[in-house]
Amino acid sequence: MNSADIEKPALKLGYMPLSDCLPLLIAQEKGFFSQEGLTVELQQEVSWSNIRDKVIVGHLDGAHMLAPMLFATSLGLGGIKKPLITAFSLGLNGNAFTISNQLRSALTDVNSNQLAHANTMKLLIEQRKTAGLPRLVFATVYPYSCHNLQLRYWLASAHIDPDKDIDLVILPPSQMVDHLKLAHIDGFFAGAPWNSVAILQGHGHCLLTGMEIWKNAPEKVLGVTLEWAEKNPNTHSALIRALHEACQWLELHAEEALPLLEQHLSLNSPLINRNCLIPAITGKNIFTQQSKQSKAPSLLVFNHSMANFPWLSHGQLICAQMKRWHWLPDDVDNEQLVASCYRPDIYRQALTHLEMPNDNFHSTHLAIL
Amino acid sequence: MKPARVMLVDDTPTRSALLEQALLDQGYLVVCRLESAQGLIKNVEIHQPDIIIMDLESPDRDTLENMTILNQHNPKPVIMFSGEGDSAIISQAVQAGVSAYVVDGLNPNRVKAILDVAIARFREYQALRKELKNTRDQLADRKVIDKAKGLLMKAKDLDEEQAYHAMRKMAMDQSKPLVEIAHNILSVLELLTP
Repeated sequence: MNSADIEKPALKLGYMPLSDCLPLLIAQEKGFFSQEGLTVELQQEVSWSNIRDKVIVGHLDGAHMLAPMLFATSLGLGGIKKPLITAFSLGLNGNAFTISNQLRSALTDVNSNQLAHANTMKLLIEQRKTAGLPRLVFATVYPYSCHNLQLRYWLASAHIDPDKDIDLVILPPSQMVDHLKLAHIDGFFAGAPWNSVAILQGHGHCLLTGMEIWKNAPEKVLGVTLEWAEKNPNTHSALIRALHEACQWLELHAEEALPLLEQHLSLNSPLINRNCLIPAITGKNIFTQQSKQSKAPSLLVFNHSMANFPWLSHGQLICAQMKRWHWLPDDVDNEQLVASCYRPDIYRQALTHLEMPNDNFHSTHLAIL
Repeated sequence: MKPARVMLVDDTPTRSALLEQALLDQGYLVVCRLESAQGLIKNVEIHQPDIIIMDLESPDRDTLENMTILNQHNPKPVIMFSGEGDSAIISQAVQAGVSAYVVDGLNPNRVKAILDVAIARFREYQALRKELKNTRDQLADRKVIDKAKGLLMKAKDLDEEQAYHAMRKMAMDQSKPLVEIAHNILSVLELLTP
């Protein structure tokens, strides 16, 4: 495309300091944005709420965003109502459930053979109830997040009611490790690198990863307002191409990206160092206290398995789960909502040189439903 | 009409003290001032605010957002101020670094009035900070220039007037600020002086 067709060449994009923001950092560092005629300023944010609000009022052109936030904001749940869309997934998976060492030994006492089975957690919760002990407290990062939905899905698989049998709180990712250390929480479900940080510091144990709950799970997306996308279609396409280049590059050179990631993530978090970034980025191992345990190939997927395609089936999975917990009003038509927020048509138009799936649905995602 | 009950969450005590005074002056009741979201939910229950004003750049915002409709145990729904169709005020608030959460449907006009005060105070504080930083920078520059002048006097055996003159000339010739010239002189002379 001729760069003269770009409606808005200077862009401001927001991101949260997490491992899966890497496509944005790499697109900047490796010049993929400028190749597409874009001059991008990346802005680190401190909360998902800020990301949403700044995108809504136009202080940011687009952002690294939680997929469920698209639906919540498009319906105005708990805040400003503004149609948001995505035409690009920044990757798959990346989350994990890390529990305190105390909870781990309690689970071991219940059933050491099936430590990571939700039924073991259920038994423990019942024992605690009988003994008059307080409810377990688990934390996730944002109400409308795949983290929250995955943890609830797992708990509910053993008939644990996440709204009654435990306390589910929201904490910023950067505070998870401290709260775990101080025993304010018994476990947290968060994205990379916070699980590795807790484990390497000896404060926790990774019970299971998100992909053991949802295989090839949706996670972060490039979120923009519908209004912005309609006003800037060529810019949007250029942005998608640049990010796709970055994701492809990451698929082959993820380890080379570690210094860049460390530089950006350690800006405001003294807890972050190179070692805790390695597991999710290289997929080689996730650490337990005792040993390096090979638990996580594809812990974080940047490009393979059609990771960047905005699957309607991802949207359907998220909306079905949001409805399950009565977050979406009952009269909302899921299919319509998904089609308004997930836009594979724009992805297909932006990346005509790529081989595309025939269908906008993937059976793996629908199988989770 | 009962005065609206306001709760402030801001990790910058100077700023929240300014805002508290401004709100009191306008007849609002500031029921609680917190520096972080620690104990936020409990404090909302105790103090029963009508509106919570929070620093936009606080990472604790996401914790507060959880008190929205998601929290079914909470009898009072907290919603983010959305000002139906009035996105100008939201944009102003975001720009100034203010976020507001309304508890149990406070009248939108009253919300806007409180928000206006908060935006004005946050902006004022921003301006104050900038001014303070400028003053500090100027002082720091002054120190660097004086130090460079001293070293130059010693090294070249100049009097104060001559040293200052030499530096001014260098700054003009190279069209660089005087403080940058001073930094250059310092780095060179400190390298040469044992």
